[in-house]
Amino acid sequence: MDQFLVSLMNGVIYGLLLFMVSAGLTLIFGMMGVLNFAHASFYMLGAYFAYTLQDLVGFWGAVLVSPVLVGLVGVAVERFFLRRVHQYGHAHELLLTFGLSFIVAESIKLFFGNFPVDYRIPAALDVPAFAIGGAQYPVYRLLMGGIAIAMFIVIYLLLTRTRVGIVVRSAIYKPRMAEALGHNVPLVFMGVFGVGAALAGLAGAVAGAFYTTNPNMALELGVMVFVVVVVGGLGSLGGAMLASLLIGVVTSLAVSVDRSLADLFALVGASAWARDVGGLLTLKISSLSATIPFALMLLILLVRPGGLMGEKV
Amino acid sequence: MRAVSISVFAVAAVGVATLFALPFLLSQGLLNAAVQMLIAALFASAYNLLCGQAGMLSFGHAAYFGVGAFGTVHAMNAIGGAGLLPTPLLPLVGAAFGLVFGAVAGWFATQRTGTYFAMITLAIAELVHSLAPHLKGLFGGEAGVSTMRMPAWGFDFGSTTQVYYLTLGWALLCVGLLYFFTHTPLGRLVYGLRENSHRLRFLGYNVHGLGIAVFAISAMFSGVAGALQVMSNESANYVVFDPGLSAAVILNSYIGGVKMFLGPALGAALMTFFGYAVSDLTQSWLLYQGILFVLVMMFMPAGLAGLPGTLSRLRQRFGLARAMPLVLLSMGAAILLSLGGAFAIELLQRLFSQDYRSAVRLHPGEAWPPVMLLSREWSPASMATWSVPLLLFAAGLLLAWLARRRGAALEGGQAESLPPGLAVPRTEGAA
Amino acid sequence: MSEPILSIRGLRKSFGSTEIMRGVDLDLRHAERHALIGPNGAGKSTLFHLLSGHLAPSAGEIRFDGHDIGGRSPQAINGLGLARSFQITNIFPKLSVFENIRLAVMRPHGVQYTFWKVMARDKAIRRETQRLLELVRLTARASTLAGEMAYSEQRSLEIAMTLACDPKLILLDEPMAGMATEETHYTAQLIREVTQGRTLVIVEHDMDVVFSLSDRISVLVYGQVIATGTPEEIRNDPRVKEAYLGEEVSA
Repeated sequence: MDQFLVSLMNGVIYGLLLFMVSAGLTLIFGMMGVLNFAHASFYMLGAYFAYTLQDLVGFWGAVLVSPVLVGLVGVAVERFFLRRVHQYGHAHELLLTFGLSFIVAESIKLFFGNFPVDYRIPAALDVPAFAIGGAQYPVYRLLMGGIAIAMFIVIYLLLTRTRVGIVVRSAIYKPRMAEALGHNVPLVFMGVFGVGAALAGLAGAVAGAFYTTNPNMALELGVMVFVVVVVGGLGSLGGAMLASLLIGVVTSLAVSVDRSLADLFALVGASAWARDVGGLLTLKISSLSATIPFALMLLILLVRPGGLMGEKV
Repeated sequence: MRAVSISVFAVAAVGVATLFALPFLLSQGLLNAAVQMLIAALFASAYNLLCGQAGMLSFGHAAYFGVGAFGTVHAMNAIGGAGLLPTPLLPLVGAAFGLVFGAVAGWFATQRTGTYFAMITLAIAELVHSLAPHLKGLFGGEAGVSTMRMPAWGFDFGSTTQVYYLTLGWALLCVGLLYFFTHTPLGRLVYGLRENSHRLRFLGYNVHGLGIAVFAISAMFSGVAGALQVMSNESANYVVFDPGLSAAVILNSYIGGVKMFLGPALGAALMTFFGYAVSDLTQSWLLYQGILFVLVMMFMPAGLAGLPGTLSRLRQRFGLARAMPLVLLSMGAAILLSLGGAFAIELLQRLFSQDYRSAVRLHPGEAWPPVMLLSREWSPASMATWSVPLLLFAAGLLLAWLARRRGAALEGGQAESLPPGLAVPRTEGAA
Repeated sequence: MSEPILSIRGLRKSFGSTEIMRGVDLDLRHAERHALIGPNGAGKSTLFHLLSGHLAPSAGEIRFDGHDIGGRSPQAINGLGLARSFQITNIFPKLSVFENIRLAVMRPHGVQYTFWKVMARDKAIRRETQRLLELVRLTARASTLAGEMAYSEQRSLEIAMTLACDPKLILLDEPMAGMATEETHYTAQLIREVTQGRTLVIVEHDMDVVFSLSDRISVLVYGQVIATGTPEEIRNDPRVKEAYLGEEVSA
């Protein structure tokens, strides 16, 4: 039972982390119609910037400054790259962001090496929060979850309660109308892109210290983030939260399941046959845990392509 | 028109003849590179059927390459190592596996279009990628599955030359079939899919069925490419399902230019060749490839294969005398900026490499040691070192600015001098 | 043939809480030319979408040639013999005009999955494509990219593509929008000729065309048909005058 709770909490926190990165991505897609392949690269840049700044301004300083830097990178990407290829259509923009993500990954390998770097939690934070089931639950995990929740609340309030938020939402929903009303929509686009990037950077700065910081982290997380935004619904913030938690929890719980599909067949007395068939059926669920999100993504794309909470396509 | 097709035919004939003559011109090492180039070119051509012709952007095409590869490697090991088919016919196994898997995957993927389609292809590829390490019976674990080419039809297929001719034969056959396909009714419909699949529905076509057919055919030829690679390397490994190969074929195709039939093949051959040629000179080859891709996407959407067309259009519009300076300025700018960029990247790569950093750390307080580049020593502290890339960049930017001004002047001048009806319409970005 | 070829009963369509079609009843007789007029937003294009399979009805029935086609796919409906043109030009922009028409011609010849023959060799398809090209007077534009033609020429192309599958029922959505007077005359005559023996439903704003071309006219206002009849009857119908024609007819 305790093991279950620990898995559950880990899953929730991983899900919240996914949300921090996917929130920006889903907003950007809803607003500009372009799926930003480089979004997870912002996550990676956040981790690496924080790692570099850690010695200069301390851990908390790095966590605060790094997202700002990443946000500026995001603004530059929108202004100098995306805007230029807007005329060629969404597929072209998608490909451009794909190329940019490639460049970021290779540049990081150039500057920091093709291996993980030693970005760690400061000793002061590397303490247990409470004991559960005989093991200690680290404070830092709770901290990550807390930051993610705080971020969600701030964004939600910003979007729904402030004037800026209303302008942003109108630009997301009907950009031409918002422009006709006199709002500087290109500026809004740039701003939302930058803020989305900064959020991903914050997630990277915070999570990179706990999980590993390496040049492949964009790719690993990036695919997950795509799964989240597709499952949740491209453009829906609530959907992104729901899907992030779903995927985080399911993946985390699956890792602790030591049974295989063949054991499931035991319910109908066919486990011997299933074991004979072998292959996929004898794989443990824990090994398959990485594939579950993709299976879920495929399912959603076929059954409800708008996502759990997105528009009906 | 007749003159054009004769010259195209002549170029093609010369090209094919050169390909056949390569084993007599190249060393074994380079010949091996040529085999890889042919495989990459075939894969890119198969990819382009879906991407450039049908307008369906696939982000996980390595899956079909890999399925063809593994199917072939198992076929080669079948019957106690004798092989299911004689060696020259083995790519048919790759084709079969690619076709079937492609049809199944295509049934799922083509139910949606655009971004959703791209995401489905990514999910399918990642599904296979994450499953492969666990299915050791099929994919052989970290060491992969190895095999041996069996003699057949009087050849022993031991030498690179024989492997080269086998690969060349299949590559030419498949590219030829792909070209023929574009002239068939289904091939023409594929262009309709790209241009307006919505209207096709109202003309009575089953668009989903068409999508599956195109997807499966593209996957089939990708499977052949995978088979050829397995036959050349005599092994298959699940790293083939890494996003890297899917990324490579996308980069190669767009750098070459997806609007022309042979564009992706040329792009793939070129990129593969450079990968071989410069892998000793630089560790940052992938970075250069990424930068080239982004530059092409931003400034040359028609790709490298579109350059001759752009040049000839310039000549038509402005005449050789006035177009030449513009072309020379642009080329000069491109060369200088590339050199400056390459120099800077190579400098940075050396400065940030692990060896250099440990050398600096070993001697704290002392001046940083010089780096080796182009067989010379460059001191990172001296202005001379950094002035090289800076000057190259400055010169390149100057030429680019001059080229831009000249281009604008030409446009403006022509708008005044020619009556509207005579101006050659620009097809790039036209409504 | 006393059975109407197209029979619409109680057709309704809502988008969320907005009801666009509020119960349309209409019968189309074989080989009649039927015009559909009404103010903007009345639902004329929506009706076409419902008939051609682009939208599914929220309620009601559509029977075409003995088949129930409400909610069926566009390709199935086209296969039964119903073809439509689009108000917003819906062609293949980067393909040549010849290729555009040929794609439409190919389907009735059943070659969609053929990958073993060369397309250009098929004489029947080529002849048919030429014929349609000449019919809409686009022979000079055969190798022009469709997206680079003048708007009125693109409308002609639309018509050619709609006729290619030899349909029993043709829906034309503002086919003459953007055409000059001479082109309008020619196209109206063209439509009259090619719809001989076929059923036509045409949406047009040019009242001269509407009144001279059609056998009967229906007036659609706010998602309902308020009047159906011969041009004379419609011209004199007070409800129609009030809702739509107003001063224009007397001018």
